[in-house]
Amino acid sequence: MAPDGTPDLVDRRAGWLLSAPWCIVLGLFWLYPFGYALVLSFVDVDIFAGHWQFVGLDHFRAVLGNPEFWLAFWHTMVFTFGTVPVTTALSIVAALALNRRIRGRMLFRAGIFMPTLTATVVMALVFVHMYGQGGYLHRLAEMIGLPVPRQGFLLSDATALPAVMVMDIWISIGYFALLFLAGLQHIPGELYEDALLHGAGAWRRFWAITWPYLRPTLLYAIVINLIKSFQVFTEIFVMTQGGPLGSTTTAVYHVYQSGFERFNLGYASAAAFVLFVAIAIFSAIQFRLFSFGRGPED
Amino acid sequence: MGRAEGGPVARSRQDAVLSAILTVVVAAMLFPLAWMVVGSVSPDWNAGWFNPLREGPVWSNYTDLFTRMPFGRHAANSFVVAIIVTVANVVLCFPVGYALARVHFPGRALLYWSAAAILMVPQYILIVPMFILIHQLGWYDSLWAIIVPFAVNPLGILLVRSAVTAVPREVEEAAVLDGAPPWRVVYQIVLPMCRPALAVLAVQVFWLTWNSFLFPFILTGDHARTLPVALAMFRGFQGVDRPHLFAAATLATLPVLVAFLILQRQIIAGLTAGAVKK
Repeated sequence: MAPDGTPDLVDRRAGWLLSAPWCIVLGLFWLYPFGYALVLSFVDVDIFAGHWQFVGLDHFRAVLGNPEFWLAFWHTMVFTFGTVPVTTALSIVAALALNRRIRGRMLFRAGIFMPTLTATVVMALVFVHMYGQGGYLHRLAEMIGLPVPRQGFLLSDATALPAVMVMDIWISIGYFALLFLAGLQHIPGELYEDALLHGAGAWRRFWAITWPYLRPTLLYAIVINLIKSFQVFTEIFVMTQGGPLGSTTTAVYHVYQSGFERFNLGYASAAAFVLFVAIAIFSAIQFRLFSFGRGPED
Repeated sequence: MGRAEGGPVARSRQDAVLSAILTVVVAAMLFPLAWMVVGSVSPDWNAGWFNPLREGPVWSNYTDLFTRMPFGRHAANSFVVAIIVTVANVVLCFPVGYALARVHFPGRALLYWSAAAILMVPQYILIVPMFILIHQLGWYDSLWAIIVPFAVNPLGILLVRSAVTAVPREVEEAAVLDGAPPWRVVYQIVLPMCRPALAVLAVQVFWLTWNSFLFPFILTGDHARTLPVALAMFRGFQGVDRPHLFAAATLATLPVLVAFLILQRQIIAGLTAGAVKK
């Protein structure tokens, strides 16, 4: 029965029946593997022989004591905090530009969105060749007179990670620009007309009207970008496979290598959980930082 | 927005400058994709630095994919998986979303929170246990491995739930008073009213599935491999040359591009769903 006392259209007992698809997927493909990963992180296991041995916190100790893990963690931090603010700022600027009533704006929107729409694998492949020796971006950088590594950006440990980061920003802007555009279009136009009547300048209008309305979208955009960046894997696998000299091995790539190249399932699971906790902490900090005060729609 | 300082002349001048800047930016954004298409029809000896208008495009790069490589099988896998996963999500998320919105069964709140919480769980935690589970089920390197676990998307459940919640209860009550059986009310009256949300769901799921890499990479081998994984393998281990690689990448991009041109509005709504409070 609903709170107001009207009976449900569908019998209450049918609720579980209707929800059955989700219950099955949730149980079998989310909860069971999650529990399994948790168990794996506390045992030494030989999957094929079927030997299990409880080892307590050994895997967690191994993870936290492994300089490779911390280096991978550091690369993930560099990647995340190097890309998220830049992507966010550029996307807001792009959204503000695309929100003006200029001719052909639908075309501009579609164009800026294309790199996002395309599979990450495809964009990564194309960028591999643009970054390589003699590729367009390599030659362009040479022409401007930048100190470029002769063998191409992805084969030098100094430039490989920044190169992957630039590509990530490149392909993410379209998506986040559209998010912010959706946010901008929810702002009532009368607010700007009022502000104009009261003689508010463009700068003041932005901070007094646009910014507060954009804040919920901003929080959402930063949190999902943060979660996505912490998990970066596809670009790394396609472009550098963690190299050269481990300079692009991010945390998730480290988990992948431990589990699927070195077959150390317990260590891989423990490392994944350490990361999970780190992400949860960062997300919580984000929410605290951005949800102080109240948005106009609250 | 869309209002600038000053009179119409100043404003149109600002807009002209903005248009010029946007043209340059968008051209730069699209350059890698344009270069991919040009590179896909180049002869392999100078790929990337050739003029297709003068030298003539090499179409055999495309036909080679089907005759000399198992590209056709990877493409068929991608199509089958993306279409089945999309249809499954639309068909299966609707009853779940309806139950969570309208049926007051015990445990409803728990199921709702499970869907919301699962969205927050990072996928990589599951790669090792999923690999083991799929082996235990005997599904490794079969399409089941990349269809069944993704047949119900928690985001889809939440989308449908909020769409059903927005349907006024009076609509249902009126239909019941007219003597319609409950199941018909749900499927012939509530379902059509949720069509926009289901379209958004379908678009988002198709896009995610078509481009998906991590799980197909972990859970398939030669047989069930999808296009993005095949492309990564072409580069990584199989040493396919650049023109063929770009031809494959172009073909892999074509379906989403065509879908985008037809369904631009739904796609943008789909990919930004959840960002703006309604």
